[in-house]
Amino acid sequence: MSMGNWERLVWNQRDALIAGFAVTVEVCVIAFAAAIVGGLILCLVRLYVAPLRPIAIVLIEFFRDTPIFVQLMWVSYVWPELFGFPGSFFSAGWLALGLQSSGYLAETFRTGIEGVPRGQREAAFSAGMSPAQTFSRIVMPQVVLATAPSIVNQFTVIVKSSTLVSVITVPDLMSQSQRLVNIWYEPIEILTTTAGIYILFVFLVSSAGKFLADHLRRRYGLVAYS
Amino acid sequence: MSDSLKQALDLSLFWEYRGILLQGLVFNALVFLCAAVLALSAGLGAALMRVNHFFPTRLIGTLHVELFRNAPDYIMLVWVHFVLPLLIGIVIRRRVEFHPFVSAVIALGLVYSGYFAETFRAGIEAIPLGNLDAARAFGMSERLILWRIMLPQVVRRMLPEALNQFVSLFKATTIVSLIAVPDLMYAVSMVTQQEMRPLPLYTGAALTYFLIILMFASGVRAFSERWRRKILA
Amino acid sequence: MSIIPRIRVAEVHKSFGSLEVLRGVSFDVHRGNVVSVIGASGSGKSTLLRCVNYLERPNVGEVYLEGEPLGSRPDASGRRRPRSLAEINCLRRELGVVFQQYNLWPHMTVLGNVVEAPIRVRKLRRDEAIAIGEECLRRVQLIDKASEYPARLSGGQQQRAAIARALAMRPKAMLFDEPTSSLDPELTDEVLGVMRELAADGTTMIVVTHEMAFAREVSDRVIFLHDGLIEEEGPPEALFEAATSERLRKFLAKYRK
Repeated sequence: MSMGNWERLVWNQRDALIAGFAVTVEVCVIAFAAAIVGGLILCLVRLYVAPLRPIAIVLIEFFRDTPIFVQLMWVSYVWPELFGFPGSFFSAGWLALGLQSSGYLAETFRTGIEGVPRGQREAAFSAGMSPAQTFSRIVMPQVVLATAPSIVNQFTVIVKSSTLVSVITVPDLMSQSQRLVNIWYEPIEILTTTAGIYILFVFLVSSAGKFLADHLRRRYGLVAYS
Repeated sequence: MSDSLKQALDLSLFWEYRGILLQGLVFNALVFLCAAVLALSAGLGAALMRVNHFFPTRLIGTLHVELFRNAPDYIMLVWVHFVLPLLIGIVIRRRVEFHPFVSAVIALGLVYSGYFAETFRAGIEAIPLGNLDAARAFGMSERLILWRIMLPQVVRRMLPEALNQFVSLFKATTIVSLIAVPDLMYAVSMVTQQEMRPLPLYTGAALTYFLIILMFASGVRAFSERWRRKILA
Repeated sequence: MSIIPRIRVAEVHKSFGSLEVLRGVSFDVHRGNVVSVIGASGSGKSTLLRCVNYLERPNVGEVYLEGEPLGSRPDASGRRRPRSLAEINCLRRELGVVFQQYNLWPHMTVLGNVVEAPIRVRKLRRDEAIAIGEECLRRVQLIDKASEYPARLSGGQQQRAAIARALAMRPKAMLFDEPTSSLDPELTDEVLGVMRELAADGTTMIVVTHEMAFAREVSDRVIFLHDGLIEEEGPPEALFEAATSERLRKFLAKYRK
């Protein structure tokens, strides 16, 4: 394992790896957005839409408890026949990742909302604010601040799980490096570098999350939920 | 669509192969148990290193945790199975190969040792310093303090969190099929190749895991509620 | 004929980083005597007590337990070299400590707390340790709480349990670090009562305290610590009634309500 080897196998192939990394980021970001939207919807339905509450609870449990790999396979191979979508493996990838995280985020949001002291709502009503105003101006901002670290943490979970989309042939970083290994039959440099890239990326994101949590705690005195 | 829906929910195929599928599930359980043992011991070791007075020890502990906690399970799995044997082979100048089961246990055990290390560390740091002062004042050795004063309190405090990690670990064992460990997903893909009917099989797998994890997760939640009330009384 | 003091503190200095907390403290405690240490917060009282049993290691100076220095010992060739932690641990058995925060171990019952060190450190048999432990609990009037967990006890009961725990090791001396400072006023009396009895029984004690009445009543000597040095010391009547130091008089005035 020499520098020359590394140069030949990794550095010279960096275009492929960079392209793969771009796809990874793309999948993760879209999945993350979907997770936030989905999580919010599930959470709000569970809390405030009484007739649909059982469905929301079951869905939240299902998305959280089913292992990501299983969900990925299920969404990729069963859903197209059942529901007609997702149309591509790329969509299947971010959809599955997004669904799993939406389950976690729904619970995170719920904890956040229920954690806002009741007195705050009462103060807002006493001042004449409507429920909608109270929710958007008083409750949600606090929920966002309190849950921000958990949300960032969920992004790191998505990044780590995204390695599995290579299994459904999405050309992400993992997939590219496996392709290179299959071409050159020399896994050491390629896989170690790939692992290093993922570890570094996740480390940076989670450090940013910790920094954010410290900043929020110092500024607003809020405790971050996990 | 209703035709596909019927197909998907026609779990009779899943039921038909339940023998093989169940055997696969047993493999999930075995990987889980072995990885759990590794994760607990390595995690405890790393946590103790992180609270040590000696800076190099702390550094090594921190490196261990950050390295494994931030690593995706899948890449660790692949790396341990394909790269680690080669590295060892270079050092001892012989050809080394890992059995997929061993790779899976090592990979998942190491990744989750990172999570457990943080859980343990939080528990250790939550112990009031006075407890340890009192133990030292009575002349207890550091080893005695660790086993009689620190660990019992760490376990009591962090048991709910640790149980959550165990559930996550079990969920993580579903990827071992990707290096040909014959678990449930592996069995499902084998049967799919044979029967060419993925719908009921993958749906069945999803439902099976869902029900199992739901059971465990609910149990853990209920237990944690009672436990926290009892411990923080 | 000079009697070797049970505890001798000799020119102890202790700094934390650049902050010098103890700047040369020396005193003796003879067998059966009670020495009280009083002083304002920040005077170094607690640090002094923690140096006596080497929870903090003095930077300069030494603590002698019946003539034996805690910090060093002669090696094979007769030279002195520092004691290791394990060796200091051995000597610590002879000093019982009662902390301000009680520091009972929450995951063990009261009796469990009391017998833990005798069993693990003195290597007594379990039934022996329990017998001694129960005797100590009787002495502090807590025998009926033996199988309770600390969380269910009041502050005064917890502190008495802590005293029983220290007594169970049959130490040569007892060190008290502001034992009643964390207690509600109604509960301090039960603890002070126990301490009075211990003193009457001839226990060698060093007590860091704010309870002036107690110090005056029970001590054989009182030490007034200020800014890391002994400002004045002597029998209680001398300090409390005829203090020579201006600082001491101001300090005592605050308590004379």
